[in-house]
Amino acid sequence: MTKVIETRDLLRKFGSEETEVIALDHVSIDIEEGEFTAIIGPSGSGKTTLLHLIGGLDEPDSGAVYLSGTNIAQMSGNELSDFRRDHIGFIFQAYNLIPVLSAEENIEYIMLLQGVPAAKRKARVQEMLAMVGLEGLGDRRPAHLSGGQQQRVAVARAMASNPDIILADEPTANLDSKTGISLLDVMRELNEQQNMTFVFSTHDQKIMDRATRLIHLRDGAVEKDERK
Amino acid sequence: MLSLKLAWRNLFRNTRRTILTCLLIGSSLVVLILVDGLVLGMMDVMVGGITKTLEGEAQVSHHEFRTNLEVEYVIENPEPLIAKIQQDPNVSGFGPRVIVGGMIASSYNTTGGLIYGVDADKELSVSRLADAIVEGEYLSGADRELLMGQPMVDLLEIKLGDRLVLTAAAVDSNEITQELFRLTGVFEFGPEEMDENLVFINLEKAQPLLGMQGHLHQIALQFNDPELSKNPNLPLFRELTQGDIEALGWLDLQPSIGAMIEMSNYSTLIVGLVLFLLTSLGVINSMFMSIYERIYEFGVAKAIGTTPWQIIQLVLFEAWLLALLSCLFGLVCAYFTGDYFSENGIPMGKMEVSGIVVDGNMYTRLAPYQFVNFPVYVTLLTLAAALYPAVFASRIVPTQALQKAL
Repeated sequence: MTKVIETRDLLRKFGSEETEVIALDHVSIDIEEGEFTAIIGPSGSGKTTLLHLIGGLDEPDSGAVYLSGTNIAQMSGNELSDFRRDHIGFIFQAYNLIPVLSAEENIEYIMLLQGVPAAKRKARVQEMLAMVGLEGLGDRRPAHLSGGQQQRVAVARAMASNPDIILADEPTANLDSKTGISLLDVMRELNEQQNMTFVFSTHDQKIMDRATRLIHLRDGAVEKDERK
Repeated sequence: MLSLKLAWRNLFRNTRRTILTCLLIGSSLVVLILVDGLVLGMMDVMVGGITKTLEGEAQVSHHEFRTNLEVEYVIENPEPLIAKIQQDPNVSGFGPRVIVGGMIASSYNTTGGLIYGVDADKELSVSRLADAIVEGEYLSGADRELLMGQPMVDLLEIKLGDRLVLTAAAVDSNEITQELFRLTGVFEFGPEEMDENLVFINLEKAQPLLGMQGHLHQIALQFNDPELSKNPNLPLFRELTQGDIEALGWLDLQPSIGAMIEMSNYSTLIVGLVLFLLTSLGVINSMFMSIYERIYEFGVAKAIGTTPWQIIQLVLFEAWLLALLSCLFGLVCAYFTGDYFSENGIPMGKMEVSGIVVDGNMYTRLAPYQFVNFPVYVTLLTLAAALYPAVFASRIVPTQALQKAL
């Protein structure tokens, strides 16, 4: 199996000397292609921080993150943006759709950044909408979609560019149980069909039940790493 | 295209703020156009005051006469010059003149003044003398006609038809010469200096009286296109300039007015800069508010791969659309208000600037460049003002932005 994510000795601190908090304490993990991994742990254990470091949204105080063998610390700001755009899909807890764009346009946005031709973009958008079960709702703006529907659009947006890795930060936290399960099923299906790597940061038992690997964090350190 | 659509829609997320910002930018454009229009209108009045009242758009005279008003420096042989002037298709009119200082005496009083001998018909095409008559008649070419201003009439305690005696030194002999005239008309140019000191008689009478048979002191000119007179290298000027005789346009004759026009251009520039500065602060404030409201979105946009440059582009697109809307509003308002004031004028009362009397309304003059150049400046200013907020947005750190919003 190919390692798509490697973290080496990641250290991340927040605050100044007196109020310093160690969010991640020398974390080293490897995640292989196609894994459906959940990073779990109590609040403040460093789950989201680890996810942000893996996605290149934040920089560690020391240590390194390798994505598909590339050390992202050595990339310039634009290179990192391009890398995220082409290789990583993000799903956030609060959906984070652009409110003035319709569901279709939100999904299309990332492909536009990639310079995908219009016809191909449109076709891919329809494919994604169908995949997340939102056919016919593409022209609605986020304000006119339910929370579950918005998160489905967020999943479609994350998937639209065909990334190698999907990083999902508490994706079901704001959803009711039924909607959450339905969404997870969609993601699990994509994982199995397309061998896409998923990394979740979560408290949600439903995700833990479906994950093929659980990485337990406590006080910024890996407490347990179990593969099912 | 999606960026443009996104920018357009972002603009109307807070319609009230967008409208207020548009009003601010648009109003600046309106003020700029009106101020410039007013300056143009004022220049028209001032230049018109000089060139249309008495001086003409250009003059031919002896260099020494022009600089010192020394009467012995005459145009001795004006016919060839007049022939050249008459042949020039650009000249709309010319007025030959003799100008001598003298004494004007009535039965009751005596005063000094400047005696103008003018050709009654030709003077019509170069000065406002005929239009300035408020009592009596303009010169008809008849014997012993004399025109003077109301202040001099009052000083001499005379009325129309009363006799007056002009006394002057003959130019050829320096002998004292006198002649009897009758007051046939009273004029009012406006500037007190002119109304108190000038008298006009017929050229045919003035030349023998002053010992200037066949000679002139000055030939005033008007052109079909007034702009021609500003050109010091005009072929006609070169042809008429011979020896000490020189032909000069009004800008050379009245360099202080030229300097004043240049100064007024600077004043428009200063007004523009102040307006631009205030407007740019408003734009910066508005753009920052808009960015702070969407800081989370910018964080997300960066997280999913939007480059800093693309963020800058988006904010600048918003600023550009804001400027377009503002300019559209500003141009429509400026056109209608400018047009209204160009027809009806702005009441300014009576004032005198450099000897030119502006009485009543000040009219704006709209020019095409105001509607082309100024909106471009305003758009560029808006983009420049938006650059700082745009760079700020491009530097938003995704993790910090996401935390702030949560």
